[in-house]
Amino acid sequence: MESALGCDDEGEEKQQMSKSDLIIRIAGEGGEGIISAGDMITQACARAGLDVYTFKTFPAEIKGGYAMYQVRASGQRLFNQGDTFDVLCAFNGEAYDLNHARLKSGTALVYDSPGGDFEPDIPEGVFAYPIPMTATAKELKSPKAKNMVALGALSQLFAIPEVSLREVIGAKFGRKGEAVVQANLAAFARGRELAAALTKTDPFAVGQAVEKRDVVVMSGNHAIGLGALIAGLDFYSAYPITPATEIAQYVAKHLPKRAGTLIQAEDEIASIAQVVGASYAGKKSMTATSGPGLSLMSEMLGMAFMSETPCVVVDVQRGGPSTGLPTKHEQSDLFLAIHGTHGDAGRIVLSVENVRDCVDLTVQAFNLAEKYQVPVLLLSDGSLAFSTQTIPYPDPDSYTLVERKRWDGEGEYKRYQLTADGISPMADPGTHGATHIATGLEHNELGMPNYTPANHEAMQDKRFRKLMTVAADMPPAEVDAGAEEDMADIGVIAWGSTIGVVREALQRLRAAGIQAKGFYPKLLWPLPAEQFEAFGAGCRRLLLPEVNFQGQLAHFVRAETSLRPESYTICGGLPFTPDMIVTKVKEMLA
Amino acid sequence: MNAPLNHLHKVSLQSKDYKDNVTPFWCPGCGHHGVLTSLLRALSEIGVDPNFLVNISGIGCSSRLPYFVKSYKMHTLHGRAGPVATGTQLARPDLAIVVSGGDGDGFSIGGGHMPHLARKNVNVTYVLMDNHVYGLTKCQASPTSRREMKTVTTPYGGVEEPLDPVLYMLTYGASYVAQSYAANAKLTTRLIKEGMEHKGFAFINVLSHCPTFNDIDDAKSFKEASDEVPTEHDVADLDAAMHVVNLANRAGRVPTGLLYRVERPTLDQRMAELVERVGGHPEYDLRKIIDLSRP
Ligand SMILES: Cc1ncc(C[n+]2csc(CCOP(=O)(O)OP(=O)(O)O)c2C)c(N)n1
Ligand code: SF4
Ligand SMILES: [Mg+2]
Repeated sequence: MESALGCDDEGEEKQQMSKSDLIIRIAGEGGEGIISAGDMITQACARAGLDVYTFKTFPAEIKGGYAMYQVRASGQRLFNQGDTFDVLCAFNGEAYDLNHARLKSGTALVYDSPGGDFEPDIPEGVFAYPIPMTATAKELKSPKAKNMVALGALSQLFAIPEVSLREVIGAKFGRKGEAVVQANLAAFARGRELAAALTKTDPFAVGQAVEKRDVVVMSGNHAIGLGALIAGLDFYSAYPITPATEIAQYVAKHLPKRAGTLIQAEDEIASIAQVVGASYAGKKSMTATSGPGLSLMSEMLGMAFMSETPCVVVDVQRGGPSTGLPTKHEQSDLFLAIHGTHGDAGRIVLSVENVRDCVDLTVQAFNLAEKYQVPVLLLSDGSLAFSTQTIPYPDPDSYTLVERKRWDGEGEYKRYQLTADGISPMADPGTHGATHIATGLEHNELGMPNYTPANHEAMQDKRFRKLMTVAADMPPAEVDAGAEEDMADIGVIAWGSTIGVVREALQRLRAAGIQAKGFYPKLLWPLPAEQFEAFGAGCRRLLLPEVNFQGQLAHFVRAETSLRPESYTICGGLPFTPDMIVTKVKEMLA
Repeated sequence: MNAPLNHLHKVSLQSKDYKDNVTPFWCPGCGHHGVLTSLLRALSEIGVDPNFLVNISGIGCSSRLPYFVKSYKMHTLHGRAGPVATGTQLARPDLAIVVSGGDGDGFSIGGGHMPHLARKNVNVTYVLMDNHVYGLTKCQASPTSRREMKTVTTPYGGVEEPLDPVLYMLTYGASYVAQSYAANAKLTTRLIKEGMEHKGFAFINVLSHCPTFNDIDDAKSFKEASDEVPTEHDVADLDAAMHVVNLANRAGRVPTGLLYRVERPTLDQRMAELVERVGGHPEYDLRKIIDLSRP
């Protein structure tokens, strides 16, 4: 069932990070304005200086189908989407039914009544607020403004900043003219009145910002696009695929302003081929896709490694195998990302935890690709793709950018010159005296085909030698030790957006008296084995939660280190929640 | 024109000066030698600066051609030279770009890219060295093999009809379509030269015999089957071009010469226009873009 964003079916008490930490879920039929109402709450809370972290599910259908938008807002720093909602706003009976199991005693329900398509029997202990959303919108002669009535009611009941919401509504509908803005504001105001007439019995209210910060609110996908622009992206080749398309959407809009080029290719094979062609011509180039597209790119990724052509490929993972669960969350492309091509090829694989990483690690990906002249894969995932989060304003001047090493014009030019660090200078077409071939055939220093045993071994060694210093170019993987200094009872290793869930779980475990540490690698390949070993040495037990069936990172950790983490895998199309990790750790230590 | 865009990078070199110091690895008598010779001559006649020339190929005997030409070059993957060249061209519209490859490379494994090179009007010159067989993998049927041909995979003769590259390229919307045969160096040179001077996607199909693995299409039969299009043929008329090709096919003949040529905006021109329309420039302040994401 869709609503299972958590595992507290055991009835475990939900712990709030703080009083001001509130999770509101809006659910209903796609096309009823669920997503835009959620977006408005997100924007308004961010304007008011709160941290937001959203989680959405879209219907797989183009029109209709169940849609859900969950906003978590807090005056404190947020790391994940939380366990389950405090407030459910149900637009219809289906949304109510799907979320019924999560409507525990102590949660609040705002629902469409009278005049909606259902009358719930309110579970015990649930604070219920009937709001005639559909009827009011009809009465106001703006049937599309049902979501505005709901928004008004939510804002009144849970203190979502009214002024900010009004601004956001104005901004959202401004383009459609003053009449539309006024109609929506009227529906919003009516929603507030209707709610004000009810008696508030629940304890929930959106908190106050602790401090005013300079932030932007972005989805993971848009943030990757921004990271690429900051990195100096020149060329992007796109092929649409859920859940990666919004990266191309963002880049298509903004790259031409920077005089760069985005082109839609005929398939992902062509996309990666164009990227390699553009990079050979001296330009910073990338493409973004999901698992099926990455499968198609495998052959060319090998060629990029062999010909030492820098490129950045983003994989926004979705549920697999095959076409799988295109709109769902999974972390299951690690095998493909690390080894997916024939013939003993290398590459660099990074993975992002949150929206901020989407900016920072995309810049890092370009820097590493340029420095080492290798393909760099950046892994994101389906929930991060659409999750909007507040992040500190990314000052473009605060990033260090790396350019590929270019030939200085001295002596004879050898494209694949054997050097101590394996890095050989490149030469853009147009450079006098440096004509050369980039080839997928094994070659000598000049690029000429050469299949002798000594040459192949020397060249493989050169290409892999480059990767030996990658770990030193990145900040070491974060060790989340809390106040623990000694041996931890449990060490949790996590990658991707699971990290944010583990951060919160560890806080709860520590509050419960358990000595817990976390290890959060962002560089997954080459695997920084010593860092893993050092972490493992400080923990009695190790747990590695990841959202895939086979335990893919656990596999590499076992292969590359002496550690034997316990693998905790789920693959239901949804991320972990902090509760799930807490429960698992308690089980392990019991 | 494709090469060099602004007449900036013109040089005066003889065709032998464009030869890189790698001996062609092709079999003696292979038609690909002739295509190479014609290409070198065309480069010399135009005066392309080798430093601003990029040869890009896929995989096959024919795809080895870049090794033998003094230029920047990429020897890529089977079937993928077209999209690689698209990336290079868009990244650096000032470069002269020649794509070369075989019938299998271009119309079997790479066949999905052909329509897009043509309709996008990517400003490159594509020389297809069509020997009606897979040479490098030693005699298998290609999409242009004649049905009766016996190969490793068709020991009793084939079961499929061949396709006609020039008819496809006309249909796909290529803005320059021509055909020749390898032994006709004069015509091949002229067509490559005009193709490189053409602003847009230029496709030249060169029937190039493979004496080692195709003994039903040899240099002599290619020559005998060819009819140069009459001088009165209107190269600006797409219907006329299709008609010439269809008539020849029905008669078992091969029309050679320039079949079709039209001037229309190239992909890189359209891209440049787009950038101009949005007032783009490399120094555009990123903060203006980032500010759009403030709440
Ligand atoms: C992905 C892939 N599949 C198959 C091959 C094997 N292969 C190499 S060349 C070739 C066909 C070459 O024929 P053609 O393109 O007509 O060139 P020719 O050798 O005839 O000039 C094939 C099938 C390959 N290199 N890569
Ligand atoms: S096998 Fe055929 S195509 Fe290849 S080099 Fe020999 S003659 Fe030429
Ligand atoms: Mg062939």
